Amino acid sequence: MRSLGIVISALLVAVTAAPAGAQDAAAMRREIEQLRQQLQGLTERLQRLETQPAPQMAAPPPAQPGPLAQSPANPQTQMSPPSATELLRPRQPFGLYQQRGSGQLLFDMGIAGDFVGSFTQHNVQKANGGTFTGRENRFFPREVELSLFGQIDPFARGEMRIESGEEAPGGEMNVTLAEAFITLLTLPYGTQAKLGQMRNRFGWSNVIHEHDLPWIDRPDVYRVFLGEEGLKEKGVEGTWVPDFLPFYVQVLGGVFNGDNETAFGRGLLTHPLATGRVMTFFDLTETQALQVGASVANGETAERLRSTLLGFDLKYKFRPEGWLHPLLTLGSEGIYSIRRTERGVDVDGDGSPDLFQKQTRNSFGWYGWGELQPWRRWAFGVRYDSTQFPAAPGYQWAVEPYVTFYPSEFLRFRMAYKHTDRSHPFDVAGNGGSARLVDELLFQATFILGAHPAHAF
Amino acid sequence: MSKRFCALVLLIVAAVLIVSEADGARKLRVIATIPDLKALTEAVGGDLVEVDSLSRGTVNAHEIEIRPSMMLKLRRADIVVENGLELDKWIDVAVQGSNNDNIVRGGAGVIDVSRGIPVLEVPTVRIDRSMGDVHPLGNPHYSLDPGVAPIITQNILEGLSRAAPEHRTTFERNRQAFLAQLDSRMGEWTKLMEPVKGSKVVVYHPQWIYFLTRFGLIETGWVEERPGIPPAPGHLVRLVRVMKDEKIKVLIYAPWNDEKLAERIAEEAGAKPLLLAAMVGGVKGADSYLAAVDYNVRTLSQALRQ
Repeated sequence: MRSLGIVISALLVAVTAAPAGAQDAAAMRREIEQLRQQLQGLTERLQRLETQPAPQMAAPPPAQPGPLAQSPANPQTQMSPPSATELLRPRQPFGLYQQRGSGQLLFDMGIAGDFVGSFTQHNVQKANGGTFTGRENRFFPREVELSLFGQIDPFARGEMRIESGEEAPGGEMNVTLAEAFITLLTLPYGTQAKLGQMRNRFGWSNVIHEHDLPWIDRPDVYRVFLGEEGLKEKGVEGTWVPDFLPFYVQVLGGVFNGDNETAFGRGLLTHPLATGRVMTFFDLTETQALQVGASVANGETAERLRSTLLGFDLKYKFRPEGWLHPLLTLGSEGIYSIRRTERGVDVDGDGSPDLFQKQTRNSFGWYGWGELQPWRRWAFGVRYDSTQFPAAPGYQWAVEPYVTFYPSEFLRFRMAYKHTDRSHPFDVAGNGGSARLVDELLFQATFILGAHPAHAF
Repeated sequence: MSKRFCALVLLIVAAVLIVSEADGARKLRVIATIPDLKALTEAVGGDLVEVDSLSRGTVNAHEIEIRPSMMLKLRRADIVVENGLELDKWIDVAVQGSNNDNIVRGGAGVIDVSRGIPVLEVPTVRIDRSMGDVHPLGNPHYSLDPGVAPIITQNILEGLSRAAPEHRTTFERNRQAFLAQLDSRMGEWTKLMEPVKGSKVVVYHPQWIYFLTRFGLIETGWVEERPGIPPAPGHLVRLVRVMKDEKIKVLIYAPWNDEKLAERIAEEAGAKPLLLAAMVGGVKGADSYLAAVDYNVRTLSQALRQ
């Protein structure tokens, strides 16, 4: 009886399921037919699109007008001079980073690696008197730098660089903050302000990082007057570019802590390092240009003595019509130092100073440089350095011919020979070595990974 | 003394007022990054604008030397017209040196004409610099295609109107007049290129894709194996072989490309080296946008018919 029930139930299910299955099959066929038609339509549409050579000349959808375009009453759109209130009011951004999609960084990032090395005499190594003091006859990473830069908002731009490099043979490499600053871009009357830790715009080469310099080493005058890294300070710098002159002029003024131990070192805003610079530029012809600048830096040394640096700089470039690089570049920079120093006087003749007399010590240093780049991948140059010492007697001169090879814009190899002649025995290590005459073979490999901001002139 | 002083003050005030008045009526000062955009801005702006270009047609816009004299021009500019897509990314450095708050990125005075352009060669795979000087946002040389001039001029129109809304009607009228001219020339150019449609060409640098696509030509190879990187000898040997096999008649190059290399390759492959106006002013006679396109169309169609 139970088995009969099961059989009857199975028959009932089969009888009722058959028409439903037939209905499903018909629906599926209709669906397939619809899909086939849709596919055919899409195929035809694709073929039509492929046969069209390019987008049609139809006018595009109008670009999205910004908020100011919708408010004609806004003074900015009226070409009338803005009022002081208007100048102070933050501006509305127009499509900032409009081309960046989701998941993309809103700033740029790049890494620069700079490896250098030298071969020199044993006595120079012993005296630590080479170009890379304490790292003679070594190959080492001088500067590996991570840069992050971009717009903070519509009103300011930010840059941050951290770096590491070998400072002593085999020593630990510390990661340090090389630069971190913001630039306020929308200040009125052609002004901008930069605040944070930065390479100062003193002369034209001081602001350039080691890996971007046109030479393996920073010019002697900078290293002697401002230390191996040049002038790098924490503070505020303002610039003004007047628009009424027939040529470009940039006027700059800054206030900094004065942390640079070689030239200043007081390190207090109450006794700040004040800097200034005037830079101008002339297009001599379509292919030739000249940049001229004068700089000043005035602060106090750690001994609370006044120190003033006056600088000049020149740069000339000849880039023939249609060339992707300059054929000839000439440049020069000089620094005149006026520094108060203390001199010990031995009154009683016992060999030790009994009183200290203050005196003003003036010293001067400069370099001249020329580079010829007849081919895109190769450049040949020579630099002549001559400098006195700001706090000690004596002078040195050097000549440094070099050759540069650029496999690409982002990779560079450079080799130089440098001969340095000093007026006196030179022994930084203080262990009996002497580096009066120095002959060095210097070499450098530099790479750039990722983004790298362009440089002006 | 005090009367003289008062008179002097009045004179100065009057002078300032006159200058302000003159300033109010002055033309919009526009700086374009490349000559094509200068030409198109002049077409839209007409007499109401004073346009200057930061680069010339004979110079590669990728490799512009940023001179402070550019910063001076930008310092006085009301508007900057830029190509975008990273062709003229150097403008950011020049703008920053100009201290002109109106034209900083995101400012009201910036016109990026790439908005709305149907960009070609947008990378669909992960890219890096081993591929050469590739553009992550796509090929930026769209201004060579006269078919996108309506989009470019529309963007310019919007930007100019943002700065001077009272002149929008004039800008519209100028744009329509320019587009009418362009339309009639487009008919001529299409007719001229019709017989050579489907022809294969080799280019020095991949900057002609918009122009070639517009007229139905096929880019078969590049002299630069990777954009911006000088070619290796092995690549040139392969290129010459392909050119011979495919019977390619033309090698297109720009004024800043290595002319001798282009000539040598073309000679070895039995093709013709063809210098085209990569931008307005790139070759003699190509001194306006329409003239530059006209020069390119006529020169190329003639060379392909031979």
